[in-house]
Amino acid sequence: MAGGPTADAGKDPDQALVARVAAGDAAAIQALVARKLPRMLALARRMLGDPGEAEDVAQEVFLRVWRQAGAWKPGGGKFDTWMHRVALNLCYDRLRRRREQPTADPPDRPDPTPGAEHAMVSAERGVRVEAAVAALPERQREAVVLCHYQELSNIDAAVLMGVSVEALESLLARGRRTLRAVLADLAEPGS
Amino acid sequence: MDAERFETLAMAYGGDLRRWPEADRDAAEAFRARTPGAAGALLRQAQALDAVLDDWRSPAPSAALRDRVLMGPPPRARKAGSMGISPRGLGFWLSGAGFAAAVLAGVVVGVTASTAAVSDARADAVLSATLANDEDAQAAFTVGSAGARAG
Repeated sequence: MAGGPTADAGKDPDQALVARVAAGDAAAIQALVARKLPRMLALARRMLGDPGEAEDVAQEVFLRVWRQAGAWKPGGGKFDTWMHRVALNLCYDRLRRRREQPTADPPDRPDPTPGAEHAMVSAERGVRVEAAVAALPERQREAVVLCHYQELSNIDAAVLMGVSVEALESLLARGRRTLRAVLADLAEPGS
Repeated sequence: MDAERFETLAMAYGGDLRRWPEADRDAAEAFRARTPGAAGALLRQAQALDAVLDDWRSPAPSAALRDRVLMGPPPRARKAGSMGISPRGLGFWLSGAGFAAAVLAGVVVGVTASTAAVSDARADAVLSATLANDEDAQAAFTVGSAGARAG
């Protein structure tokens, strides 16, 4: 998780790169993709649980980047936070569509039950963790994804989620407490 | 800082004090210095969960995805029929360097916007609202950072 206040655009590590992108610098475009595509893909993958949808979201985020880079004005939030906002909105929309169309095929997620078929087929710890995170209530999952995996500051994550820092802290604590219980066997020495 | 607050922070932000809210770190360090046994146990417990969570790694983007990002819209949006652009326009669109240069010069922004609206109107509406409200969002960042703890 990144430290320090996040509203200080003077410390935005992406500001110079975004300016070069806006100026049409091909190397900067490549660099921005190399720097941000893994983060956007990881965010969407962990929010949606579906690799194909995650790729679509990541791709759509960059469409907005190409459209907005020239209009980006430093002085507000960080560019990285703005990209997270765009990606999250795309994820929210897809999650909402899933709720509205319950007959649609659900994403291919592993069963969170330790003894279930998927866990037996794959002994990988990552599969267990993915299943446990996916089974969290949506807001708790979002908090854990933003703070632990995306390493956003508590302030950035709270703003993106539209909650207070205190509420974010509560979501994080509840989510991680559940994860600790569900994944207790993985945390034991020698596991 | 008391033990209850230290435990709450460890549970929320994990076992690495560098990842805790900046405003709480000094007090947390002081608590750890006063009660190394209790603080150490709480941190080790949180670190164990951190390590387990880190076992879930996200795959790196494929070369194909990187190429698509550099080239432009998703495949469904590149269908000439839905885009309503000429084969010549599509060819230019599919040229990565041409696309990037054109977009950044503002030449094809309108095409991009209309394509997105046709291919995924609902998502685009949500996103447009987001972009329209971006100044508000940035203002919120400023307000938030003034009174909230740094993370």
